[in-house]
Formats: sequence, structure tokens, C-alpha cells
Amino acid sequence: MTGRGIHGPAILFDRVDLTLGRTAILEGVSLHVAAGTVHAVVGPNGGGKSSLIRALLGQAPHRGIIRLDWPGDGPGTVAYVPQSVEFDRGLPLTVEDFLAVLCQRRPAFLGPDRRMGYGEALARVGMAGKERRRFGALSGGERQRVLLAQALIPAPDLIVLDEPMTALDEAGIAIFDSLLADLAAAGTTVLWVEHDLAQVRRLATRVTGLNKHVLFDGHPLEMLSPERVFDLFSSVPRRAATERIAS
Amino acid sequence: MSFEALRALVQGWAGAGLLPAGLTHGFLVNALLSGLVIGPVLGGLGTLVVTKRLAFFSEAVGHAALTGVAIGILVGEPYTGPYASLFGYCLLFALLVNYTRNRSNLTADTLIGVFLSVSLALGASLLLILASRVNIHILENVLFGSVLTVDDRDLTVLLAVATGVTALMLPLFNRLLLASFNPALARVRGVPVKGLDYLFIVLVTVVTVASVKIIGAILVGALLVIPAAAARVVASSLRGFFLLSVAFASVAAVAGILLPVQLALPVPSGGAIILAAGLLFLGALLARLFMKGDEG
Repeated sequence: MTGRGIHGPAILFDRVDLTLGRTAILEGVSLHVAAGTVHAVVGPNGGGKSSLIRALLGQAPHRGIIRLDWPGDGPGTVAYVPQSVEFDRGLPLTVEDFLAVLCQRRPAFLGPDRRMGYGEALARVGMAGKERRRFGALSGGERQRVLLAQALIPAPDLIVLDEPMTALDEAGIAIFDSLLADLAAAGTTVLWVEHDLAQVRRLATRVTGLNKHVLFDGHPLEMLSPERVFDLFSSVPRRAATERIAS
Repeated sequence: MSFEALRALVQGWAGAGLLPAGLTHGFLVNALLSGLVIGPVLGGLGTLVVTKRLAFFSEAVGHAALTGVAIGILVGEPYTGPYASLFGYCLLFALLVNYTRNRSNLTADTLIGVFLSVSLALGASLLLILASRVNIHILENVLFGSVLTVDDRDLTVLLAVATGVTALMLPLFNRLLLASFNPALARVRGVPVKGLDYLFIVLVTVVTVASVKIIGAILVGALLVIPAAAARVVASSLRGFFLLSVAFASVAAVAGILLPVQLALPVPSGGAIILAAGLLFLGALLARLFMKGDEG
């Protein structure tokens, strides 16, 4: 994963508006994610973090511009780690089957394609040797690790994480730390929606506070002061905060 | 090899004592061929039906076939195989259910319940109007299936549908499954979720309609559900789930066609097939009780 230089894209959100029904979810969101950085987006529930991701992935109708500037000739590999997957917990689906369904063309019931590197990806998230475990029988943290593993196949240039630490235990958090460090060292762009501000302070290169509008954007240690965090999580988003911070 | 030649071959083997004596009858060979064609397809597709929680939908499509037959007779199609009306009405029914499901705030089972009731009411009304035109007992075959009525045209339809459905289902299996796990993740992986959703509905519908002749409108949906449900109970991997479902559906289809003839039981083929599938399901449940499942 190392030694490839920056191969992730820069991302530009320019005056992005997103409305669901009559409710404005995002209003005039402008944001720049630098290539090869770990960029966190924080904010209250309902503040539009996941909607921003859906807009980026082309899954939510929006106004404004969202542009990915890829360093090479064409678009690279985009990976996505959702908060969870909906499925019947009793389904006879092993961890390896799950990865096969996601990553390979050959029908998963014919068995995993060994060339896809499922074992290596699972080892990177601390799930080595658990290929044959039933996916529905895993703990929430283990399932989250498998979701991280799928995002590594194939190696991503841009990885979009939607609150990936929600169910992780301490060992899982340590693995996530090292994975994020590996991705950053490899020049992958990471867009990371997170609610745990302590982890963002520790691991992100840059952080954006989002509550319908962008309330702040900068280095985590500077941006996540008690006053700004209070502003961010207050019930009425204050666009003025952005201007105050900017000045 | 034509159906005629295949039939003669099987009848020859049956005459020589290599196969059950009942297969000296051409109609039974036809029924067996249809069972062998449709069993594996229904079993394989059934794993997706069960995983995507579309069991009630597949039952509803089967029941819609009754109305399709009534419309076919009304517009002058032969009552032995009103395929244009059958396919046309059932596809319309299925697509309309799916279209409305994506646009209403009703749960899927409520919506399907509404469509199913209205469709059955329409079918029953039409059949009463038609009662004077056709022998109403013909409808028993439509409702519960019959080994007596499968002809070469039915076999051709069945083979064409089975081939088409298999050719689409196998390469799209992972994508169809992924779309039900997490649509957003599926889209990032390049899966056209909405398109595949409709395609799957069409696959279930055409395979259901093609099987109506042998299994019957009332019971055809059950062969999509019961073998897959039985396989889900005992399997521990996706491979086991799929292969067992195919095996259970095939065994049920063949047993349901042959056993009533061999044992001289006055049971319609559809009923016998589903009873055989039900026994396999019961066996799977019992086997489960004695298995050490990996429950984490």
C-alpha cells in the first residue's frame, strides 16, 4: 500500500444544497477535501453528514457542484463503508461468502475467488481465521471490521467512511487507527463521517463541522474547541459561526 | 434431440424396466421433463426470493396467474395454454406492485395483500362470467396443476424461460443479493439497484407463469419458497444454501410427478410436489434439531 504517492482525488463541494421533501438538509455547503488527506466531517444527528456522503456518491439529488479531481488519467477506485448492512441474521452466509458477494463476479455460491485476497484484507482488520464464521453471528464490532475489510478490495483511492467506529471495541479501534495510518501513508483520500470528536482530534488531518451549513473547517486541534463544538451541536445551526471563525 | 425422440427414448427405457413403468406413458414423460427443467431453476431462484424477503410476492404472482388464464379465455386464447394473457397480466401485476411499493408509504406485505385481493376478485368474477363457455373443471388443472396437460408447446415455453432465467440469474447472483444488503454500498460497487430490482421481479414472474401448468396457480409460489426455506434451515454457507435448495426443489418436483402415478394416488401434481417439498422442509427442521449449528 505504500510508495504509490498521492493517488486519491481532491474533492470540491461548491454551494451544495440538498432538500428531502420540504426539509432542507444541506444549504450552501462549500468544502474542499485535499487529496491524500484524512478529512473528518462532524456534526449532530440530522446535521446532514450522511446526506453529504450520499450526494458525493451520486445517490442523492442535489444542487451545486461536487467534483472529484483525480491525479491520474481517469477515475480511481472508490470504496464505501456504511454504518451497517441490513440482512437476515440467520442467513447461511459466511464472512468469506459476504466478501465474495461484494467483490467478485463469479457467483458467490461457487466459492470465494482466492485471487481477490480476502484473507489478507481480513488479516488487516484483525479477522484472520474467521473466514468461515457465519456473518450474522458476528458481534457488531466484528461485522464493522468486515465492512472495513471489504473496502480494501480492491485497494481504494478514495474511501468514504460513515461512522465506522460506532460498534468497535478497543482492539477494533486500535486496528482502525493503524488502517487509517496505512491509508494516509499510501496517499488514499479518506472522507470520514464521525461522531467521536476525541478520535477525530487524534486521527484526522482536517475537520469540517456540519449542521446543515459548514460551521467550521480546519485543523482538528484548532477547530474542536469547546465553544465551536457547543455551536455545532446547538439546536439551531448558526451560519454566522463560520463567518466569525473565518474572521 | 426433439421432444418426440427424447420421449421415445425414455419410454423405451421404461418399457425395458430401467425406469418406473409409469414413464411408458408419454404424458408422464412430458411432466417429468418439465419437473426436471423447472425444479432446479425454482430452487436456485428461491434462495434469492427468501433472502430478499419476497416470499409473499412470489405467492401473489402465482395467484395472479388465475386471473391471467381467465382473461386469456375471455379474449379467445386456447384454454389449454393462454400464454399471452398469462405472461401479459402477471408481468403487469408484478411490475405494478413493484412500482407502487417504491412510491407508497405502505409496507410491502400490506400492498401485496391489496393487489392480490383485487386480482383474485377480478379473476373470480371473470371465471363466473366464463362458466357457460368452458368446462369449469378445466380450472382445477390451472389451480392445482396436472401431469396430463403438458404438451410440447408447454415444454418449449418452459425450456426457453428456464434457459433465459438461468442465463441472467447466475452472472447477476451476487449483485441481486448485494442490492438487498445495502443499496448504497451496492451502488458504489457499480450495481444498478433499481434496474436489478425490476429485473428480478420479471424473472420471478416469468418462471412462475411458465410453471403454472405443472404446479398450478395456487401452489407454484410455494416451490420458490419451501425448498429454499428448507435449505436455509440446514445450510451453513451460501454454497450449501444454493445447492441444497436446487436439490430439494428438483427432488420435490420429480417425486411429486412420479409418486402419485406409481402409487395410484388421486392427487394433482401441484399438490404432490408441494407436499413432497413440505416433507423435505420438515426433515430439514428435524435435522436442524440434531445439528450443532454455529450460532456464534
